[in-house]
Amino acid sequence: MTALRGQPGSVPLKISIVCLTLAIACGTLFSLATGGRTDVGLADIFRPDGLARTVLFDIRMPRTCAAALLGVNLGMAGLVLQAITRNPLASPAILGINQGAALGLTLGVVLPNTIDLPLDFYALTGALTAGVVTFAISGGFGGKIDSLRLVLGGVAVGAFSYAMVRFTYTLDDDIARSVIRWTVGDITDIRWSETKRLAVWAVPGFLASLVMAQRFNLMALGQASARGLGADPRITLLLGTVVAAALAGASVTVAGPIAFAGLIVPHLAKFLFGGDHRVLVPTTALLGAALMLVADGLSKTLTAPIEAPIGVVAALMGAPWFLWHTIFARDVS
Amino acid sequence: MRHASSTRLIWTLLGLTFAAIAVFLWSLAAGAVRIPITTIINTLFDLDGPKQGFIINKSRLPRSLLAFCTGSSLALSGAIVQALLRNPLASPKIIGINSGAALGVLLTFIFAPTLDLNWLPVVAACGGILAAAAIFSVAEFAPVSPARLALVGIAIGMACDAAVDFILATSELYEVSAPLVWMTGSLWSRGWAHLNAVWPLLVGLSAITLLYSYRLDLIRLGTAQATSLGLNVRRERLALLALATLLAAISVSVVGVLGFVGLMAPHIARQMVGGTHRGLLPVAMLVGAILAMVADAAGRALFAPLEVSAGILTAMFGAPFFVFLLLSSFPSPIQ
Repeated sequence: MTALRGQPGSVPLKISIVCLTLAIACGTLFSLATGGRTDVGLADIFRPDGLARTVLFDIRMPRTCAAALLGVNLGMAGLVLQAITRNPLASPAILGINQGAALGLTLGVVLPNTIDLPLDFYALTGALTAGVVTFAISGGFGGKIDSLRLVLGGVAVGAFSYAMVRFTYTLDDDIARSVIRWTVGDITDIRWSETKRLAVWAVPGFLASLVMAQRFNLMALGQASARGLGADPRITLLLGTVVAAALAGASVTVAGPIAFAGLIVPHLAKFLFGGDHRVLVPTTALLGAALMLVADGLSKTLTAPIEAPIGVVAALMGAPWFLWHTIFARDVS
Repeated sequence: MRHASSTRLIWTLLGLTFAAIAVFLWSLAAGAVRIPITTIINTLFDLDGPKQGFIINKSRLPRSLLAFCTGSSLALSGAIVQALLRNPLASPKIIGINSGAALGVLLTFIFAPTLDLNWLPVVAACGGILAAAAIFSVAEFAPVSPARLALVGIAIGMACDAAVDFILATSELYEVSAPLVWMTGSLWSRGWAHLNAVWPLLVGLSAITLLYSYRLDLIRLGTAQATSLGLNVRRERLALLALATLLAAISVSVVGVLGFVGLMAPHIARQMVGGTHRGLLPVAMLVGAILAMVADAAGRALFAPLEVSAGILTAMFGAPFFVFLLLSSFPSPIQ
């Protein structure tokens, strides 16, 4: 198990928290300093008024906050999924949860007059349905999760949801116009209202994960041991699915399905801080925020003046990692 | 016993051929303009009476023929890959060949838009072969279980998809609108030029594969048995893999990612005539051709005048089929 191979405490926790906070600070500055207007820089924060201030406070800052929150959400969702499936390849994108949320969201947009509910609700329902279907395919609710079935089932659920999403785009030209940038994960147009929507889900999701950290630790011992110690693995699975679906669904509503961030952040956290989820939950959140802030800065600078959407940057960072892990990790299947 | 299965094979082939012809005619009739069957026959055989020369000859006939060619090629490719990996869940899409080919074609769309259409299959084949080579070099140099191999294929496919997304998102919209339609697996605006570019290659490769069919049976027995029966397993596997890759990649180069046809067709064929490749391959080809033609024509007819990409329909029906396979191969599809 990767989860227990690293030595907890090999890096003193206080130092690592300080390092992470520093990384977040650097990432924030990087993300704030870059953008379409190259003449606006960090020094303009202290300027009392004018265009530069508007650019910083109303355009760049909500986007920077959103990037950090997305990192928290997706990192937590990945960590929770990896813990409850005991599978290092689990993540919202690979298990089809992101795509399910996208499908729910698209249905919510296409069928606006049927039921008047906020879009978040549709995305969450889609994410939850996709997660439950994938777990049902892998045999999770009957007892033992089959590792390979989990991944292949997730790929199938994802492919199906995505086909449905593309199908609805075919029906409506106006939605089709925004399809590319939305499906690859784009946060260019984010303002404070979207950022608030992310935060509303990030905080309870994080707290719930923190409360469940001990359950996740018991899951790592194996389903039988977890049951013996009084934590029914099926309940953990169900609660974890709800938390992960809420976090991933909220991210998808705001930024589209961002792949791979949910996969690599928990791995990096486990590599650095060991396998205790009570430590992992806060550190994964911090690490996710730091990583997505850097990805946001890169997305603005890498191919300037055209922006590479943040989801694409995350995918380019994450795909090699996934490949490396499937080939060399010992604990797959 | 042998006699009985031969009779069954012949009847199946006959029935499928008739079904394919019927679907072919229906695909010519279906679309925004519905054309009665007598008009179609008049046009095809140049008889007297009402004709619809423009729609049929310019648009629907090449599309249906292209669907026939690519559907059967994808099915053949899927049958080979499933036999090679001894894995019922394998398909060109799952092991990343399609995504590699898509990446290759997209790169040429962007960097060499003036390239002649005839080079498209070559480019797609290069991309597909690179992806397949990456997957199988992993299998050769770091021996892994078939299960791990499927995961490596998914990973390579995802890496290619990430690159595709990167290109799509960072280029101008007018540049990518054509590739975007193509990416979803559509035969929209495909004409005689595309058909002529690929059909000689696909027919040739299919013929070679059919001649190879008995070796697939030997390989399915396992490496040890096949070797003891006098087969150079390593060389044959390589040759067959090259065939499968070329078939899938060339198909992808003209119709885009027509997912799950390569997965479904061999399974349906196996239900009909069993696992012997001499019969399985031609049946799978016909089934694949029928699936592709139905997907294309239905996509055209369902919401006419809007068109739904064939790839969307195959994924909508293929993904649940895949899940069904996953569930029915208990306890675990591959060990």
